[in-house]
Amino acid sequence: MPKQGFQPFMESPLHHFKLDAEAQARRADGRIWCNELPHLGYAVLRGDTAEAGFAQLVQQVTGLALPLQAGAVSQGPQGVLMWTSPDEWLLVSHRQRLADWTAQLDGGFAAQQLFAQTVDSSGGLTLAWLGGTEHITVLRHLGVYDFESIPLGHMVSTVLGKATVQVIRLDGDGVFVLFRRSFADYVWRLLRRAAQPYGFAVCQLEARGDHPLFAQLAAPRPSLILA
Amino acid sequence: MSGYRIHRPGERINRQKPVSFQFDNVQYKAFSGDTLASALLANGVRLIGRSFKYGRPRGIVGFGAEEPNALIQLETGAHTVPDLKATQVELYQGLLAGSTTGYPSLDFDLKGLLGKFGRFMPPGFYYKTFMEPVKAWPVYEKYIRKAAGYGHAPVLPDPESYDHLHHHIDVLVVGGGAAGLWAATLAGRAGLKTLLVDEQAEMGGWLLTERRSRIDGLSGMDWVSQRLAELASLPNVSVLPRTTAFALHDLNLVQAVELLQDHLPLTERNAALPRQRLHKIRAHQVILASGAIERPLVFGYNDVPGVMTAAAGHSYLNRYGVAVGREVLVQTQNDAAYEAALDLAQCGVKVMLADARQGGAAAWRQQALKSAGVELLLGHGIAKVLGDKSVSGAQLVKLDGRNNQVVGSGPRLSVDTVLSSGGLTSTVHLFCHNGGRPVWNQQQLSFVCPDEGRDNIACVGAITGRWELSEALGQTHAAVAALLLGHGRGSSGNAPSVASEEVAAPRAIFRLPDGKPEGHGAKAFVDYQNDVAAADIHTAIRENYRSIEHVKRYTALGFGTDQGKLSNINGFAIAAEALGKPIAEVGTTTYRPSYTPVTFGALAGPHVGETFDVRRYTAMHASHDARKAEYEVVGQWLRPWYFPKPGEDLHAAVNRECLATRNSVGVMDASTLGKIDVKGPDAREFLNRIYSNAWSKLDPGKCRYGLMLDENGMVMDDGVTACLADDHFHMTTTTGGAARVYSWLERWHQTEWPELKVRFTTTTDHWATVAVVGPDSRQVLQKLCTDIDFDKDAFKFMDGRSGTVAGLPARVFRISFSGELAYEINVDANYGRYMWEEVMKAGAAFNITPYGTETMHVLRAEKGFIIVGQDTDGSMSPNDLAMSWAVGMKKPFSFLGKRSLLRSHTAGDGRKQLVGLLPLDPKVVLAEGAQILSNTDDTVPAAMQGHVTSSYHSAFLGRSIAMAVLKDGSKREGDTVFVWAHGKSVPAQVVSSVFVDKEGVRQHA
Repeated sequence: MPKQGFQPFMESPLHHFKLDAEAQARRADGRIWCNELPHLGYAVLRGDTAEAGFAQLVQQVTGLALPLQAGAVSQGPQGVLMWTSPDEWLLVSHRQRLADWTAQLDGGFAAQQLFAQTVDSSGGLTLAWLGGTEHITVLRHLGVYDFESIPLGHMVSTVLGKATVQVIRLDGDGVFVLFRRSFADYVWRLLRRAAQPYGFAVCQLEARGDHPLFAQLAAPRPSLILA
Repeated sequence: MSGYRIHRPGERINRQKPVSFQFDNVQYKAFSGDTLASALLANGVRLIGRSFKYGRPRGIVGFGAEEPNALIQLETGAHTVPDLKATQVELYQGLLAGSTTGYPSLDFDLKGLLGKFGRFMPPGFYYKTFMEPVKAWPVYEKYIRKAAGYGHAPVLPDPESYDHLHHHIDVLVVGGGAAGLWAATLAGRAGLKTLLVDEQAEMGGWLLTERRSRIDGLSGMDWVSQRLAELASLPNVSVLPRTTAFALHDLNLVQAVELLQDHLPLTERNAALPRQRLHKIRAHQVILASGAIERPLVFGYNDVPGVMTAAAGHSYLNRYGVAVGREVLVQTQNDAAYEAALDLAQCGVKVMLADARQGGAAAWRQQALKSAGVELLLGHGIAKVLGDKSVSGAQLVKLDGRNNQVVGSGPRLSVDTVLSSGGLTSTVHLFCHNGGRPVWNQQQLSFVCPDEGRDNIACVGAITGRWELSEALGQTHAAVAALLLGHGRGSSGNAPSVASEEVAAPRAIFRLPDGKPEGHGAKAFVDYQNDVAAADIHTAIRENYRSIEHVKRYTALGFGTDQGKLSNINGFAIAAEALGKPIAEVGTTTYRPSYTPVTFGALAGPHVGETFDVRRYTAMHASHDARKAEYEVVGQWLRPWYFPKPGEDLHAAVNRECLATRNSVGVMDASTLGKIDVKGPDAREFLNRIYSNAWSKLDPGKCRYGLMLDENGMVMDDGVTACLADDHFHMTTTTGGAARVYSWLERWHQTEWPELKVRFTTTTDHWATVAVVGPDSRQVLQKLCTDIDFDKDAFKFMDGRSGTVAGLPARVFRISFSGELAYEINVDANYGRYMWEEVMKAGAAFNITPYGTETMHVLRAEKGFIIVGQDTDGSMSPNDLAMSWAVGMKKPFSFLGKRSLLRSHTAGDGRKQLVGLLPLDPKVVLAEGAQILSNTDDTVPAAMQGHVTSSYHSAFLGRSIAMAVLKDGSKREGDTVFVWAHGKSVPAQVVSSVFVDKEGVRQHA
């Protein structure tokens, strides 16, 4: 008979750095402040904007307008929706909400016979928040993109060192760096190294109720979104 | 006598801050603000090194990046830095330095004895002399290499750090002299994002030395201070001193290295800051204001310590308060060197000035010199310098007014120092790095940058041949103002006001004649660092080297750490004379990055140590660590290689892991395999085209192994793809091939078959995969999962199911890379380690054994399963691998590689094909990569029959096995071949590559 009473636990890609243990309340002291936003839900959204009903369905389900401009990010209290290519977006939200959304979206796509889909990527991605006066300089130490030029509400896909990342600017208070799980150790070490001249500190995660990303941090239950 | 301190108003040293330092184990004192060169000169040290080829005594010649001789070794141990120019090393308390040449000592050098026979060491001496016998070359080389070179590279790891910084700016100004400062001021005032870099510790360029000029009524350095204050007040302007722009690439990418901490004592360096920073600057507009460098004249024994450029003597005096001698002869062919003579004379130095021009400088300059007590010798040149390890005098000759000929003898002067000026050479390097060519300016006797610059590169100041400050600033203002106007930035106001002065034309003379045929008089050096004399260039031309590029390579002119900054124009001019051509026609050699040497540390930046390369980790890594895994790197992933128990080596661990897996159950982290979600109504059709086998009839819940071929029909990747729904597939790829396959799918879809409605999403990182392998694996799965029926007929080999494993949603595939009953459990990677530990708990009753890649390799080789990239090399077709069962030639639409499989060569005989090999001695494990011969007595060169691709000891079979590719292997089963490695042949029998369970009973159990 199978063993009952399983107690699944999650470990985020940066779990092994034990960031919680060294996290401090953030202050404006010239240092670079950073932490991982663990266990968010991520889904790749694919669709054809020329197909009637696609954008409407996405907005109806998520409350987020489908961004059509390259690099644009839609944000709301329940998450963000980022343009990543002409027929591809990344949806980030609380894990459970994301599971609900993707189920509704896929159901809606099927019902309307749209050539559209969601692919759960929650296990494969993570986000780090990077703040402090020189946070853009830290990125300039590592990547060739003109990070200062990223408008608020936009993201870019680029390379830091030898890893592909997305850099997301929401409200001007720091940036979010999105990267793949298997590259997480490398990216974190790279950010930490680049921040060294300014001082590097791990900040406590703020439970900001209406923030498009921080608000999604509430402890999630084991994901049930897998088909 | 040699150098000594002298007080100069405006000197750049801080006498309130004395520092002590060591050179060649002798303690000296100097001041903060000194360079190592100025400090040594102030302490009377002249002999700094021995020359490269002849071992001749050498001293300091220049005062900056142009220095050819004073290459020193800085610090010791891990901090040691070789071949720095003493002229660029900022002095700090406790600095340790030493010479890089001289054996057994700097004072007595063995190579110096050899140098006495310099006449018998022409260019190409080593090529010409050590040709025979060929076998003796290693012996020659040993001693030649010992004699060559300068400093030694550190052997300990560098304790300091380095970083990179990228800039995207409107305007980059290279050079912080008068022209550069003004250009930056104008760009900054116009609101442009501007960066100004200069290699020196202080901005000001030549104004740091030259003190007479007044700009806008201010002294030169007051004007510099005013500029710097204004630039500091502009938020859009950054100024970086100690920053050398060393390379200019296409699209205005400029690389510059900033020395952040080199000027600090080792104990005062901030460990949190990098020692050096590499700036990668992308500027819409580059303004080159890199100025000019004074070159010396070429005359007999012009390398004796105590001979230096006039600009150097002038700079040591005014910047560092060091008089380089007490009795100084200044030799010139232009007006500028008169300034040095005047300032020295006014400081009480006895100065004589020999001018190659009959008429000398502008009258006012001559008068000023005479008033200061300087003896003028017009129409004279130095025939040779007297002295050995230090200048003791100079023999002059009278020169013809028009031809560069000797017309009479001159005085023999007793002096302790000779300063020479052959005119200025524009620093055109950056302009030329990506293809720009300088132009010869006969009036200014220099290759210069054209006034018009190039697209988005402006050239201002002395780089264009404007030697006079008034002209340089005027041209800078006009060029930058026009540029700003072109960008709609309005008027730039007036140029700084500088009084213009009358200047006499320089004389076109580079090599001062001594009245003897070239090669018969005293050696006259053109390139100090490479010991290239004027006679060597003539020899090269006589030996019919016609291109200046060839002359450079034959003589070594312009090579080395100074890159010919002092020697190039003199060399070109001497070559032109020997060739009987104008200098413009001879042209220049090619200027390539770097302008000055750059440390490997700066180039590497943060890409060292733990951030040298990406290390990819799976979600279960901590579990592997806890079980003491040894790792190997596979496609950047760190994969468990084997899990040794105490006392086990690789072989013992792998034998144990193999047997446990074949006899009960093993477990492996398979998360690294590439995974791609393929979805859409045309997904099947796409798979039909991209894989060689057929996918039309694969039902949901079924998996299939597929071979991916390139256009040539050769295997490029393989993997199992599961059908999740009619329009939805879970594709797997090899670990190292994931990114390539993903790009491959996108490329074919986007470029050739965009009409197919299918999309691909990489899910490699999303899924963590635990492979449970072995006869007991079913029981392990049954302990973890109740909603999947694991009955052998309900969940067959190559089936896939979705279910709940250990409380989590999971995709479970019954697939096998070992030939055993096996399941792969895929879960959201955040739960990966949880799942691994649950499997370990559930398997404990079966003594579940974790295994790594080495055991995986043995298990799959026992079954004859290939590893793409190990058993294939890009020239193996499915037929070569005996895998024609995985090719669907009857598919309605073609597939990638199909046509190529039909080509005569691909389908013909004589191809290497995959076989198994059993060494006749079962204890012998063949060497992977070993060549296969047909006969034991084959001798070199032998006909290669193929090679061993995989070879292991199989604990399960109790013997060695191997896979190999063998010419016509499919027809050679039963043959005996000979595997050659390490000097001997080992006989082996050709067999089927499936060694275990040919019928597949185990995996279907």
